[in-house]
Amino acid sequence: MGYFAETDFFEDGQLIELLNQILAGNLTLEWYRVDNVRARAVAADPRRGLTYADCNLGQYGYDDIPELVRNRNSMAARGSVLPAKLPDLGYTINRKSDVWADGVVVLYEEAKTRRWAPAVDVPWAELAARFDRTREAAMAQLSTLLAEVALVAMEAAARWVFSINQEFLELKSFLCAQMIDEARHVEAWRKRALVSGEGLGRASVSAEQGLKELLSAETYPEASVGVNLLLGSFVLAACRALAALADTHADRRLAVLSMQDVARSVAYGTAQVRYHLAHQPARAAVLAEYLDRTEHTVLGIFGSPEFLEPLVLLAGRGQQPAARARGGAFARRWFATAVEEYLARTAAAGLAAREERSRLARLVRASAA
Amino acid sequence: MPPSFPSVEFFEALRREMREERERFSRLGFFDTTFGVRVLDAGDRPAEFVLTFEVFDCVAVEDRRSARPRDFVLEGPLAAWRAMLDNIHALGAADTAHSVNTLTHFGESLRVCYDDPDGHDKLYRFAESIQEFFDLASRVDFTYPDGSRPPARHTPLERSAP
Amino acid sequence: MSYLSTTDFTEDEAFVDRFQRTMKGDLDLSWLDEPRERVGCRPENPRRGLTFRDLDVGGYGFSEMPEVIRKNRSFAPRGAALADGLPDLQADVNRKSEVWAYNVEGYYEEAMTRQWNATTDIPWADLQAHELPEDIGKAYAQLLTFLTEVEMIATDVPAKWLGRLNADFFEVKNFIATQAMDEARHAEIFRKRALSTGWGLMRASAHNEFNLKFLRDADSFAEASLTLHLQAEGMVLTLFRFSEYISPTEGDKKLFRLVMQDEARHVGYGMQHLKWVLDHYPERREAIHRHLDEAENFVFGAVYATEVLEPFIILAGKGLKKENVAEGIRITMAFNLKQTDEYFERLAKCGLPERRDRSRLWKATEMARQSMASAA
Repeated sequence: MGYFAETDFFEDGQLIELLNQILAGNLTLEWYRVDNVRARAVAADPRRGLTYADCNLGQYGYDDIPELVRNRNSMAARGSVLPAKLPDLGYTINRKSDVWADGVVVLYEEAKTRRWAPAVDVPWAELAARFDRTREAAMAQLSTLLAEVALVAMEAAARWVFSINQEFLELKSFLCAQMIDEARHVEAWRKRALVSGEGLGRASVSAEQGLKELLSAETYPEASVGVNLLLGSFVLAACRALAALADTHADRRLAVLSMQDVARSVAYGTAQVRYHLAHQPARAAVLAEYLDRTEHTVLGIFGSPEFLEPLVLLAGRGQQPAARARGGAFARRWFATAVEEYLARTAAAGLAAREERSRLARLVRASAA
Repeated sequence: MPPSFPSVEFFEALRREMREERERFSRLGFFDTTFGVRVLDAGDRPAEFVLTFEVFDCVAVEDRRSARPRDFVLEGPLAAWRAMLDNIHALGAADTAHSVNTLTHFGESLRVCYDDPDGHDKLYRFAESIQEFFDLASRVDFTYPDGSRPPARHTPLERSAP
Repeated sequence: MSYLSTTDFTEDEAFVDRFQRTMKGDLDLSWLDEPRERVGCRPENPRRGLTFRDLDVGGYGFSEMPEVIRKNRSFAPRGAALADGLPDLQADVNRKSEVWAYNVEGYYEEAMTRQWNATTDIPWADLQAHELPEDIGKAYAQLLTFLTEVEMIATDVPAKWLGRLNADFFEVKNFIATQAMDEARHAEIFRKRALSTGWGLMRASAHNEFNLKFLRDADSFAEASLTLHLQAEGMVLTLFRFSEYISPTEGDKKLFRLVMQDEARHVGYGMQHLKWVLDHYPERREAIHRHLDEAENFVFGAVYATEVLEPFIILAGKGLKKENVAEGIRITMAFNLKQTDEYFERLAKCGLPERRDRSRLWKATEMARQSMASAA
């Protein structure tokens, strides 16, 4: 057991006295008389309901959160009246630009409305009678890898939530939305593999090594750029490819619904870097150095045989040499496009000159030569 | 007189159909994007339309003169658009070979043009809603510039590629 | 610096060579021939879709999962073929009975299909049409301030543990993720409702903040879950039911019914987890009692949280006049007794009937009950 109360309340005479007073009808009403700030949040757009943006009012709003949060180390609701003695709950992330992103509130609201449930929103019955063993084996292997990725993405969000100051309520809420999104993907990809008739594939050593490196980032900005922007870009590209290569409505829907979720994480990752660098411009060099040494992880993941070979088989539609050649051409193009789009996002986020520094870009050029 | 594709009237017809399917679109979630549809060889110059979606509705259909910033533009020759719309009309909704994502995947059939990757990513954030919007074309009686019409609905409904 | 992969993939010539050859269609395909259990899971009930219970097959399933996970220390999905070189997730929790609960897979599926939206599922326009008088408005805003303050402890604490659980316990990890989202939604709905009353947020609750610290600082997942899911959320569930009962408007009743659904799921997990622990790990009984001793200390100390107790009195009695307060006290004390009774009832149902005998909270409750009976 970690923490003990300062008082054994069962032996506290003052508590009994207070209780007796209240039971006699003598309410203290100290809270009733607090000098709080009145506010009335109203839905700006009734179609949308009452959003967090509607609650962005004065000291209650997220715009009012200072860059450095001092003297707010409890879970007291932002803007509420603080009593004299509150505990320190041990938050270690107290700087707004380390976590915040413009638009995070929009992304949170969007995540809630665009929720789906794999059990019932994918027409699994359509996958029941599938006879193409190569295709199903490829899907099972890809699904196994994507389940590994999703687990790490879920853990990445969970890992930081505990440490982030509760003043950043809306941001923490978005991380919760990410957690449930990724739980959904862990579930959905596992289900896809186990409905295939092939069972789960092989866990990927190179992918997991890359994933562990991403997961263990030392700071939140590094973790976010690594998992949301870098990894997220490639997962998004993977979902797009699977949707494009789907030969059933079920597989298309599974990939598209997953794609939507991942695109939100990518959007947050891009916006978070932008906000971070706008407020801490000196950190650009740090993030650039982080990406210099960490970009290789996505090669370990999406260049792994457990991802790339099934992709080649799906795209080529078979194992014959001509099919493999077709599939290989698709995979080359896929990888090059994924790198290009990732680099476009880093540029948009404010990480200039990534193209020149990126070893992924160099690899794409070397592969094309 | 049925609308012609491509035209503002065509997209207005889709917008009307979307209103009828409000329940379905609201279940898909907030849908907040403005994007362009550009048909490259429909006439003397590319035909461009700007579609604006907010909350659960299509709130505006405009032509190229619209000043609204586009998150992205879906662009392609008339033949590519026609292949997609014919497929949607015949099957009731796009099959896997003719979905927006498939057709734009490597930009060979339709391309996605954008200035800002954030705008680009809205194509993916709202992918299912965008697809269902185009799928509404199955309910619209329309013609192509040459006067032809899309194929009538097949039965039974077949969503998966052969 | 963080963990570094065993190789830098872009500098690993063999890896890059294989990558480039793959993209020319030269495939190794050893994964295709990996020995595996071939299964084709199907939905048992098509209306329910494909559930985790449908996947409870052979080595992939949770039923066959051993008590101690010895083999899988990686991120590999349970049942996947494991190769040499997989990294160690550094999971602290590798014993099933530390985390498992009967029906955890059912709770997860239920959570996924029962996600509601604080923004759109509450009739905000109707609520705002109701102007609450000052005494009720302030009391309600204060209650909502307390609720928004405490809800996300049940995000933070399970999230802290999520990454420390062995990957084979993914049904539990997934359930934790749904709980995190549920609690974010609760913090949201209570904050929004407080800000929509026109009274704003009132006073934070010092006593309850120290209780939150107790919950945050639990040494183990089992301890954290016991006090969070079963004790704290169990009492909050009763509180939500009471809040629904005393809600000032129909819209507020709906609000509490929705949060109640989520809370009941969390309590369900807590109860089924305790049952599992006592069934499989009976030697934990004494440690559980010791942890509950301190948890109940905080519960008893909640009298100091007048910013919670007094709003209830005002809302239950419907005002601040003497007769309202008297009625409010009567109703609130009955609620407090019910809350405590239900807590001990849950513990008894989970296999801890002796809790009443050693609990000072129970003794204090019995004294209060007798005192109220004599006064009546």
